[in-house]
Amino acid sequence: MNIVGISINHRNSPVELREELHLNREEIIDYIPRLKNYLSEGFVLSTCNRTEIFGYPESEKVDVDGIINSLKDFKPVKNFNDKNYDRYFSCGAVKHIFSVSTGIDSLILGDSQILGQVKEAIELSKDLDFAGATTNRLFDTAIKVGRRAIKETLIGEGAVTVSYAAVQVIEKIFANLDKKHALVIGAGETGELAAVHLRDKGVGRITIANRTYEKAEKLAEKIHGDIIPLKNVGEDLHHFDIVVSATSSSDYIISKDDVKKMMRKRRGTPVCLMDIAVPRDIDPKVKDIENVFYNDIDSLQIIVKQNMKKREKEIPLVEEIIMDEMVSYFGWYNTLEVVPTIKSIREFFEEIRQDELSKIRHKVTEDDYAKLENMTRRMVGRLLHNPTMKLKEVAESGANASQITAHTIIAKELFGINNGKHQNNE
Amino acid sequence: MLEAIHGLNIALPIMYIITFTLYVIAFFNDDSGLNNIKRVFLFLACTTHIFYLLVRTIEFNHPPITSKFEIFTVLAFAIACSYFILELVTDIRGTGLFIIFFSVLFQVISTFYIQDLMEVREVLRNRMLGMHVISALLGYSGITISAVYGLLFLVLYKDIKLNKFSIIFDRLPSLETLENMSFISLVIGFLLLTISITIGIIWLPGAFPDFSFFDPKLISTALVWLVYGTGILIKLFGIWYGKRVIMFSLTGFVIAMFSLLLSNIFASSFHSFY
Repeated sequence: MNIVGISINHRNSPVELREELHLNREEIIDYIPRLKNYLSEGFVLSTCNRTEIFGYPESEKVDVDGIINSLKDFKPVKNFNDKNYDRYFSCGAVKHIFSVSTGIDSLILGDSQILGQVKEAIELSKDLDFAGATTNRLFDTAIKVGRRAIKETLIGEGAVTVSYAAVQVIEKIFANLDKKHALVIGAGETGELAAVHLRDKGVGRITIANRTYEKAEKLAEKIHGDIIPLKNVGEDLHHFDIVVSATSSSDYIISKDDVKKMMRKRRGTPVCLMDIAVPRDIDPKVKDIENVFYNDIDSLQIIVKQNMKKREKEIPLVEEIIMDEMVSYFGWYNTLEVVPTIKSIREFFEEIRQDELSKIRHKVTEDDYAKLENMTRRMVGRLLHNPTMKLKEVAESGANASQITAHTIIAKELFGINNGKHQNNE
Repeated sequence: MLEAIHGLNIALPIMYIITFTLYVIAFFNDDSGLNNIKRVFLFLACTTHIFYLLVRTIEFNHPPITSKFEIFTVLAFAIACSYFILELVTDIRGTGLFIIFFSVLFQVISTFYIQDLMEVREVLRNRMLGMHVISALLGYSGITISAVYGLLFLVLYKDIKLNKFSIIFDRLPSLETLENMSFISLVIGFLLLTISITIGIIWLPGAFPDFSFFDPKLISTALVWLVYGTGILIKLFGIWYGKRVIMFSLTGFVIAMFSLLLSNIFASSFHSFY
């Protein structure tokens, strides 16, 4: 039984196709019963950047085309062809799953969210009775690999988005963020991300300003902040230690004069202005003012690029962890094949022992019978000790599947065992 | 005992150099594994240094303040010990190499040139003088550490302003932290300097027949005290923040060093014992 799967991701599919093929939680719940026609157990992981479907086939015949067709039937999309997904089998599939959980396969290298998303996929599979012993073991190892990558390497360190880089700069200026007051201008996607990052970093108070009041209200509610009207930003600017601007305005919202007035009212206390809008919302000449720290997207991208390079250096370390856990996982997986063989051989020997003992049952005394029973039991145990240990050793060493199969076939042939039944040619 | 003193005199700069090296490695490699090890080495160096100073005091029957090079070893200790306490209290570990460098410098010079002075002027054996000098040295250590943090503040300030995100940006604590550490060191240094001046004013006139309030060293010390006192008040009353305060503090440091140099080398003073 070998794991198979398909992966639709940023390397093989454009973003429009990935968005169309994305399955939300309810859709996964509806889709899995269809998948059970092809896979006895498995999981579906679907995020904004990937859809992964992996599992163990129902029969010995591996039917990846069946999986693809089931997805196409469930989510009919145009222009979805063979180039838009990758196929994985056996070791390759396990390696891919581990690569996904560590974040080294993500669009943003070292993505910290993916591990949580993998866990959710696993939980959903369990809830839908789609996770058996093998899948559970695979999941547990995938989570372990992800955690090890985070703990033992720097793959997830440093800001790799502009919003987070802005927060990194803010942290380099101010020590006690819980005593600071931040203003986020613009409640769009970028502004929201920035506001969430600031909240997560423990900024004491966050205020939102947006052209559309309702959007500002929604974001303020999400981050437990407050609101000011956009038109009041100029006169209230001096209240804020941190200003993050991310609007779609084509003109400057904050001019150099606004900042000069602000600094006079603040008596020169440092202020951080993060302009993550395109085109810029804040006049860049404000950086000439003392104790004013101004950054725009270009300067924040420098930090992002530096951090990405650092993460790239961690990839070999993560791959070592993946290899390490793959050996461990396959060591366990291979015993699945070996254990039934060992059991069959032991049953075969026990059957012969019982058969021979029954022939002399009535020819010896009770005491002698008991002694013979003990002796034959010990003899069988000693005879089978080496073959059993050898088979287990080969399985747990992480040897490849064909080696394991070869050993079990030889063992079965030597003792005339086929499909768990022995062939006694006596 | 003399052999022990000579042995410690050689061991101390080695210990400080090893400690400094560990701080440098941890800084450039961002090695958190070295964090505890380097602190242990600093602790060992400081403890050994206390022992060295005590043994010298006992053996030579005077505190180690009777020559420039004895002053240097006390200064090295004061800087290292002050930093160790600061690091323990704040848990800011990335700035040690910039401070411990000065301990290495002063101790190495002291090790090479220090002499075993058994015979010294009787006034130098006086405990009040010992307290006066040691509090002054601790005061100047605080001011030195404040200046180092001030310089680090300016370097980081400039880097952030110019969007240079180098190792300095990565490793140093925030500007606000550097400003606070500079200010705390300055306040402690100032208080100790005040204690030193107070002891001096109370005790010195009676101890020295040729005492004069117009002594160059007294004038320079008073000037330094006034500059730093003003700086502290400016900061406390919120008149200036950030870069301006740091610049004022650094200006005070330059004045302090300059005036010390002038009054020690060029001006004659009742303060000249060696």
